[in-house]
Amino acid sequence: MILDCDLLIGRDIASGARVDGAALAASLAGLGIGGGLVTSLRALLFDAPSGNDEAREVAALHGWWAAAGVDLRDPLTALAEVSRASALGVRAVRIAPDRQGVPATAPGLRAVARAAASAGLVLLAEGDVRVVGPALAGLGAVVVFVDAHFYHLGDFVLLARDEPGFHTSTRLLGDVDGWEVVVSSVGAERLVFGSRPGWFEAAAVVDRLAAAGLTESERALVVGGNLRRLLGVTA
Amino acid sequence: MIVDVHGHWGPWFFSTDVADAAANLRVMDECGIDVQLVSAVEAVVYDPLSGNPALLPVLRAQPRLRGLLVVDPRELSLAESQLSELLPTGLFVGAKIHTHYAGSPGGSAAMAEALALLAAHDLPVLVHTWGEEIVGLADVVAQVDGTRVVAAHLGGPSWPLVPSAAERTDRLWFEPCWSTPAPGRIRWVLDRIGPERLMFGSDATLIHPAVTLGAIRAAELSAAEKELVMWRNAVDVFRLPTPA
Repeated sequence: MILDCDLLIGRDIASGARVDGAALAASLAGLGIGGGLVTSLRALLFDAPSGNDEAREVAALHGWWAAAGVDLRDPLTALAEVSRASALGVRAVRIAPDRQGVPATAPGLRAVARAAASAGLVLLAEGDVRVVGPALAGLGAVVVFVDAHFYHLGDFVLLARDEPGFHTSTRLLGDVDGWEVVVSSVGAERLVFGSRPGWFEAAAVVDRLAAAGLTESERALVVGGNLRRLLGVTA
Repeated sequence: MIVDVHGHWGPWFFSTDVADAAANLRVMDECGIDVQLVSAVEAVVYDPLSGNPALLPVLRAQPRLRGLLVVDPRELSLAESQLSELLPTGLFVGAKIHTHYAGSPGGSAAMAEALALLAAHDLPVLVHTWGEEIVGLADVVAQVDGTRVVAAHLGGPSWPLVPSAAERTDRLWFEPCWSTPAPGRIRWVLDRIGPERLMFGSDATLIHPAVTLGAIRAAELSAAEKELVMWRNAVDVFRLPTPA
């Protein structure tokens, strides 16, 4: 079964769409996705502490892992949430500067990234990799760019060559050879399956996986091995 | 049988190695696509003057690729000249207009003039649509006698406007490729416009066809819908040979 680094629950105020844990779990089965890393939109859009509690509950119920969402509009609470997440055994933090109208130059973004790196947490980073990537460089951060688009693949590769902790999600690498370019340029260890089911047409990513020119060992890394390694889990 | 009405040939300015027609054919084979209608990337993003004729040897060598002649509505004299020169080859089955690169929105007067020219040559047109221009394009199509237009991308993020566009004219069809597809979009559109108005396109070699095929798979088409969407509508609109 595939593991997905980009699971979201809650309500998106921009679209009005709503996906709860049960609906997400139901959609995963048909896609061949066994679980993954879930973040609460409540945490990203309204209240981080209660949203992150919700994500942990949903993750525990379904056998997934929770990622703590932080709100960069309140960087002080964001830093406190990074500490709380680490103390609770959460292994990842999600940042969403575009969703929150926060520029990548905001001091809070680097502060959160530095705190996450210090605590050994993985960062899931939304936004344009050309903008957010440079803002996260030089911190020793382990990052999965969940919005990296194939239009910007060359810039991701350049960033990843300098930053051993930089990874990309598969979701928006839907061109003819994007997955293969990542593998040949920086290694299959840097490609992490993500499809954002319920919010994105995840079957498109699943079918792109089926068409990918990956060896069996590369595929195993992309669909689960890499995420497990990043989270420090064995099963 | 699968006909892909939205393909491209030639190099892109992104970090992707797909310049050779072999890349088209490789992904067509991987995805079960029989025929792909292609426009030259050079003609779309730079200059139809050099880009359209560059496609000729490719079309001559690859019968599974059929041509879309790129028209820039701002240069209709060039378009007229190329139509006269290139249509007699029999290698082009339609035209392509990119509203963004050609600076000619779907609802513009320039678009109306270009569609009228192409209608005079009885040539169907694949028009890039993004945003609310899909409705403007529908109004233009309704005004131009005889034109047959396929709206590419369902207007991208403005796909909820497709039913409104479809109501304005029955000479407008729709094609769903998109690199960031919203969930459930194709079924939502199909249920409102009917399978006679949708046809498969991939945007290869910019986008892997698996992306749109996956989105269509998620829409769970019936056998009748699949026949119309995957090839029959394209065969009818572009007057392609009917499969044996």
